[in-house]
Amino acid sequence: MSSLVANMLSKQLGQKTVLHGVSMQVAPGELVLLAGRNGAGKSTLLRCLIGALEPDAGSAHLDGKPILSWQPMARAREVAFVPQDNDVPFDFTGRELVTMGRHPHRGRSESLRAEDLSAVERALDLLDASAFADRSVMTLSGGEQRRIAVARALATEAPLVLLDEPTSNLDLEHALQLVALLRGLADNGQGVLVASHDLNLFAPRCDRVVLLHNGRADVDEAPEQALSPENVERVFGVQSHRPKDFFPREFTL
Amino acid sequence: MKVRLPLLLLFVLVVAVVLHLAFARVTPGLGALCDWLFAWTGLTEPASLQDRFVFSSIRTPRVLVAVFGGAALALAGTVMQASFRNPLASPDIIGTAAGAAFGGAIAIVAGWSQLSVVLTPLAALCGAVGVTSLVFVLAGSHGRFSVANLLLAGIALNTLFGALTSFVVTLAFSNYTASSQVLFWLMGGLDNRTWDHAWITAGGFALFALLIWPRVRELDLLTLRDDSAHSLGINAVKARRYLVWCACGLTATTVANSGGIAFVGLIVPHLARLMVGPAHRLLLPTAALLGGILMVVSDLGCRMAPADWNLRLGVVTAIAGSPYFLYLLARQRSGVKL
Repeated sequence: MSSLVANMLSKQLGQKTVLHGVSMQVAPGELVLLAGRNGAGKSTLLRCLIGALEPDAGSAHLDGKPILSWQPMARAREVAFVPQDNDVPFDFTGRELVTMGRHPHRGRSESLRAEDLSAVERALDLLDASAFADRSVMTLSGGEQRRIAVARALATEAPLVLLDEPTSNLDLEHALQLVALLRGLADNGQGVLVASHDLNLFAPRCDRVVLLHNGRADVDEAPEQALSPENVERVFGVQSHRPKDFFPREFTL
Repeated sequence: MKVRLPLLLLFVLVVAVVLHLAFARVTPGLGALCDWLFAWTGLTEPASLQDRFVFSSIRTPRVLVAVFGGAALALAGTVMQASFRNPLASPDIIGTAAGAAFGGAIAIVAGWSQLSVVLTPLAALCGAVGVTSLVFVLAGSHGRFSVANLLLAGIALNTLFGALTSFVVTLAFSNYTASSQVLFWLMGGLDNRTWDHAWITAGGFALFALLIWPRVRELDLLTLRDDSAHSLGINAVKARRYLVWCACGLTATTVANSGGIAFVGLIVPHLARLMVGPAHRLLLPTAALLGGILMVVSDLGCRMAPADWNLRLGVVTAIAGSPYFLYLLARQRSGVKL
């Protein structure tokens, strides 16, 4: 089974050293939350992990082999990715966009096979997106576009899925559904890494929390230890309390 | 329905070509064209020697340059819009065509065009690739080519290379024939096209279309952001570069053989997208056919206009195309995605 490992990754963007020796991993069957302040390097780390960005030092390995030495199509069948912003400048339908997720399984000229079509339908169903799949994405709301983007990643059927802020723009119900969906993927043996600011949403359902701070994976523990009041104060600079009042509320499906 | 549309367009193109062959300010007309076309059946009188010459050596090469030139510009625009993820990209907007014109102008003024018919297209190709490399440097940041950046780079490069081309023309003013030839060529037109021009235009179109076609699905993926394209197994940077170089080839082919033809590369992809949607497997053939139709019809319009207007093809397409461009800009400004 596939696992993705970051080994002392360092990356400088412009003048700023964003990552400064980050080591972490995602293994099959686990849901991992990646959190940290704005600019802490979450997106940069994800991009290094999928091989879209070459680190200045250190390396990312997929199944023990450097991610950059994987053949692109083979790598794409192993690691799926949902980027932070996913606007499309042309009016593709949702279904066309999700079908692009099958690209790594198709040759250049091969037409769609039955398994491609069923993977697309499955992904649309999982994201509750079939109802608007045939509309132009430009007419969809931000949240609906987001669900199409997640469906595209799931249509690759890759054993590892990395998502950058997947719940931004999602309404409460679909955010909760997405968390449940990602938990389900992990329970079925897929490895899922989510970068998100929504700690209350993800932390209770994930196996580990990695906090990026000062360019390092400062904390990498089970959620309750990782988000201890001390860690939260050090990493995010805020206090954390047990709720006493009406707010905050816990929402469930 | 969507798949039949290209067939319908092919039919329209054939009709446009027949009209183009048959109608001009002077004879021979439709009857003589039929005589010429169907002489082999034995049913019609063979066309006169003079008519045959007009059809086979004057009008056929001209209409072929129009068909393949229009198709090439439309393909170039479609490929650039997908590759730059930008619905306002096209060879004439970002400066590729200006670069090609600069290269071609040098070739004509320096007399290289007299040496071999392929030297003008080659010089145009060098100019197109040169300017487009500058676009990559000036307008891109991390694989993103925003509308604003691309338009600004385009303004700068169009102005610069327009000025350089003017300089080349004025340098050669002592050679009146060459400089007036360049000036007329720059305005875009299909008069005096020979079979050489027709072969080069058709060959250039076929070559670059064949280079693009196997990677048609990568065009779809390039309309996503680079990270998404990467995660689906293509190297977005390399794929973009390859496809844009092919678009430069298509642009150079057309510019070298028909001069500056404005807006075809911008507008046709939009019209084609309205007809068949943005998936390139259907979009590319549709755009190519529409581009051919538009060029043939515009050139027919030029030819039918009063002789003393000396109406140029590039003028016709610019007058028809600029309102559409302004309309697209207005939509962009009002926040509607293109």
